[in-house]
Amino acid sequence: LQKMGVNFTVSNKDTVKSSDVLFLAVKPPIIPFILEEVGPDIEPRHIVVSCAAGVTISSIEKKLSTFCPTPKVIRCMTNTPVVVREGATVYATGTHADVEDGKLLEQLMASVGFCTEVEEDLIDAVTGLSGSGPAYAFTALDALADGGVKMGLPRRLAVRLGAQALLGAAKMLLESEQHPGQLKDNVCSPGGATIHALHFLESGGFRSLLINAVEASCIRTRELQHLADQEKISPAAIKKTLLDKVKLESPSLSVASANKVSLFTSKS
Amino acid sequence: GEKRGRVPAAMEAAELRVGFVGAGRMAGGLARGLLRAGKVPASSILASAPSDRNLDAWQESGCRTTHCNLEVLQESTLVFLATKPHVLPGVLQEIRPAVGPHHVVVSLVAGVSLQTLQRLLPAGTKVLRLMPNLPCVVQAGAMVFARGSGAGDTEAALLKSLLSSCGLCEEVPESYINIHTGLSGSGVAYVYLFAEALAEGAVKMGMPGGLANRIAAQTLLGAAKMMLETGEHPAKLRGDVCTPGGTTIHALHQLEKGALRATVMNAVEAATNRARDMAKD
Repeated sequence: LQKMGVNFTVSNKDTVKSSDVLFLAVKPPIIPFILEEVGPDIEPRHIVVSCAAGVTISSIEKKLSTFCPTPKVIRCMTNTPVVVREGATVYATGTHADVEDGKLLEQLMASVGFCTEVEEDLIDAVTGLSGSGPAYAFTALDALADGGVKMGLPRRLAVRLGAQALLGAAKMLLESEQHPGQLKDNVCSPGGATIHALHFLESGGFRSLLINAVEASCIRTRELQHLADQEKISPAAIKKTLLDKVKLESPSLSVASANKVSLFTSKS
Repeated sequence: GEKRGRVPAAMEAAELRVGFVGAGRMAGGLARGLLRAGKVPASSILASAPSDRNLDAWQESGCRTTHCNLEVLQESTLVFLATKPHVLPGVLQEIRPAVGPHHVVVSLVAGVSLQTLQRLLPAGTKVLRLMPNLPCVVQAGAMVFARGSGAGDTEAALLKSLLSSCGLCEEVPESYINIHTGLSGSGVAYVYLFAEALAEGAVKMGMPGGLANRIAAQTLLGAAKMMLETGEHPAKLRGDVCTPGGTTIHALHQLEKGALRATVMNAVEAATNRARDMAKD
């Protein structure tokens, strides 16, 4: 990130002071502690955007309200392909966030993919679908490549073709008015190769596996949220685990900096 | 017109004399459909069978009956062959002398190809092969037919126009007939099975059986009607019923877990393959 010209600091306080839009990108159990730490520095101009899975708007507002009467909080759920500007992002606005604040975030996130506003209670489902979704796709691609290799293709080519097939199919669906079922039919000539293959997928319960996966991810997100609400994990334990991990990965950095990087300098 | 010159006016539906060689369930279903639709008067229908067992129902509808297959050929222009497969070769030998260029012979006999039929009948006979399904009885049948080398557009048009009164009737290449068996001939039984299971589910949840059966049937009827009338893809229609987090999507998940789709595909495949195998015997 530094190579890209992003400003870097080891002080969370500095990050807050020099930002207008603040992305909280720490692990969910750490959120309360970060909020405690930076709470005093939150000003009316700040828009606090939490990307932490399972952390509710109300829990953030509650923590910040001891420092700031009307904190602007937006909760968002995105996914890893934002890195190639094909992310899938949803956001829900908090009590004191204005329409313009939501629109600002939407503008920012739309530059790295698809972004839309939702009701907060749908965010867990979004996690199950598009949050975890890339992992399902990677698993599928790995297996498709295996299939290609089994039938004689070199691995690199198999991976490339598999990825392109999914990319192309997704693009067709997004650009078409047609139902995916219809698009599937369009590929299946009578008695041909594709319909034979699809029969195998159906026999293996392909569809139900995917439904199960989305459901499991969504349910687990809710569980984690419950656990967090109950604060079962001891704060000291969390801090220690994180510190140890940080020391292992980047011995040169100090503790606090591992948590946050400011993506923006002050609005001009 | 000139096309009709060879064929006497008897081909006009109103004056058409229709014969059935064999009077079993499928023949009866077709005849009943034609009668209900008012396409052919009962007095114009003649059916033959070796015993009286099957013929009573025909007589009750006002159709004429006989024990003599030859008589059917002599009296009718449109002749449906509806015997059991193993009986057919003998029957064809028997009626062959009475088959003429004015006849239109339509075989309902499962597994007997046009090639075989044409071989056992006089050269140039107008032969067609029809695969109906039982709901022809209530004029909601699904039928496909294929024409032999002696049959032309006139015969195809006649058959289609007559049988459209019994449901959906489409001309197809002969190779689709076995598939139609797997899809729709046998398919009717799959639907009955599904309906029974739906009703049982309802009974388990506390609804009386009779009511559950009627509602199950009406549900299938309604869904089918929507498919036919809107022409929309079933996947789209399915989505239309699924409110987010609602009852339907929960139920569909159960069906997917049970790999219902694959099982149904297996069923169609099994029936089609069996039809193909039987045809070889």
